[in-house]
Amino acid sequence: MTDIRDTSPEPPVEPRPDPLQAHPDQAVPNSAAANQAQPDLTQSGQAQPGDPFAAPSGPETIATQNERLTDGVNRCPKCGSTDIRLRASTGMLVCEFCRYEWSEEQIDPLISGEGSLSDLTGTIIGSGAADIDPAVAGVLTMKCAGCGSEVVVNTAEAMSSRCHWCRHVLTVNDQVPNGAVPDAVLPFAVPHEQAVASIRAFAAKRRTFAHRRFRAEFTPENVVGVYMPYMVVDGNVGADVTGYGEVKTREYTRGTGDDRETYYDADVYQVHRHVDFTVDDLTIESSAERADMNTLVNTNNIINTILPFDTKNAVKWNANYLTGFTSERRDQDVSAIQPVLEHQLLSIARSEVTSTISGYDRGVRWETERLEVRGTRWVSMYLPVWLYSYYHEERGRAMVHYIAVNGRTGETMGSVPVSKGRLLVAALTVGTFVEAIAIGILVATA
Amino acid sequence: MMMEMLMLAADAWGALEPVRSAITSASIAWASDDEGGSGWLLLAGPASGLAVYWGLYRYYRNTDKSHNFEQETHVESQPITGGDVKVDEVRGTKRTSIPGANGRRFRDRVQRVQ
Repeated sequence: MTDIRDTSPEPPVEPRPDPLQAHPDQAVPNSAAANQAQPDLTQSGQAQPGDPFAAPSGPETIATQNERLTDGVNRCPKCGSTDIRLRASTGMLVCEFCRYEWSEEQIDPLISGEGSLSDLTGTIIGSGAADIDPAVAGVLTMKCAGCGSEVVVNTAEAMSSRCHWCRHVLTVNDQVPNGAVPDAVLPFAVPHEQAVASIRAFAAKRRTFAHRRFRAEFTPENVVGVYMPYMVVDGNVGADVTGYGEVKTREYTRGTGDDRETYYDADVYQVHRHVDFTVDDLTIESSAERADMNTLVNTNNIINTILPFDTKNAVKWNANYLTGFTSERRDQDVSAIQPVLEHQLLSIARSEVTSTISGYDRGVRWETERLEVRGTRWVSMYLPVWLYSYYHEERGRAMVHYIAVNGRTGETMGSVPVSKGRLLVAALTVGTFVEAIAIGILVATA
Repeated sequence: MMMEMLMLAADAWGALEPVRSAITSASIAWASDDEGGSGWLLLAGPASGLAVYWGLYRYYRNTDKSHNFEQETHVESQPITGGDVKVDEVRGTKRTSIPGANGRRFRDRVQRVQ
């Protein structure tokens, strides 16, 4: 990265594409649901020129449906059993009957292809990230291939169900546009015991001032493995920021004794920076409830803090990865998440140019910013989180406090309800002690 | 006002009678001190109490934490371009930094232009 300020006060501006030119692919039309309703997904959802019946131009779609699986009975490739679950220690699916282990293929080669991110243009979405159709119900009725009976699955709560007649396990794998089946899933790698130990250690460090009721009711064994819905986004963007910066030219004092004050002279510069960059696997919440991070009313910021995940290792969807875990369903479309993405891209741009303003020793005040999104690629993904939830009510105000463990890296963060009374006593004790010292100094020097 | 707060704090903690009398002595010392003297030292107690409360609260509740996506996302950027043009001079200011400095507050949005 070039430190422009340090090398030359007025560097020549390198030629670059006109940043004010609007990009035709930037808009995100909401016609993806129509494409998504077709079971045979194609590599591109864009209309062909000259086709009078073509739908309006929409985002390009990458088919990510796991063609090997369908809704209903999906058997072990070795013995045909449907009792399949994830073995977290290996990250593989294991047949409970014959112990055969296998894994679905990684999604990244299918999504990323051969091209470089700097060549990314337009909007590309995985078929599992298509717009949600409100008309599509979350409750599915599947016909059991084992005995023919009908089994109901509420995808808001589970992605599999056991046939109550023949005991086969039926799983949901078709990408119907209700947000239940994503493009990919990143399996748990941190086992339950490790998560419990991490949560216990986290809470143990925060025991002294924890609320009395929390200390009495704390049971980390109740931690639940949850697959949270996210959008994993690649982007190719350009950004401009303009503002003013000050460089100190002189520092001096005026007055004498107690009236002595320091004054500064400074040169003021108008500053402009442009940066072109790509981001790889920016991870954004795709559930409206989880995206709300108002710390006055919830502790969703805790779950956000344990990001990032090693999303490159995500695999094609197979509902059996969720057996024994719970999941939350995506309820946000690409268009709803776009503003969050742009906020994060602008923040990254501001972070990237920081190294070029170090010469402004009195700081920089950015006043305008501009973002040109040349290309984005969206993949919906379930990411693994061990979640300990504690419902706490105090003076009529209720809040769920989370302690969350990243199901891949083990990173732990949490919120522990505090005893405000004990906190006040501690603050008063320290305050009084410091005040006593201050008073002693004053009395001694009076 | 400061004296009232200190007296209230000492009242709440009835066992600390010596502290109350010391505060009274100090208030006399402060009153006799010239303006701009060392009277500001009396703020040290409330300030440290507040800092302890806020620091412990944040350690337990982690309300200030979020994903540090600016540093934790894989970003590949091209060489940064731009310009710096001197437009003005400031003389004899007591400010130690430019007003509204936000060079390191990446998430504070400013006017968005097209």
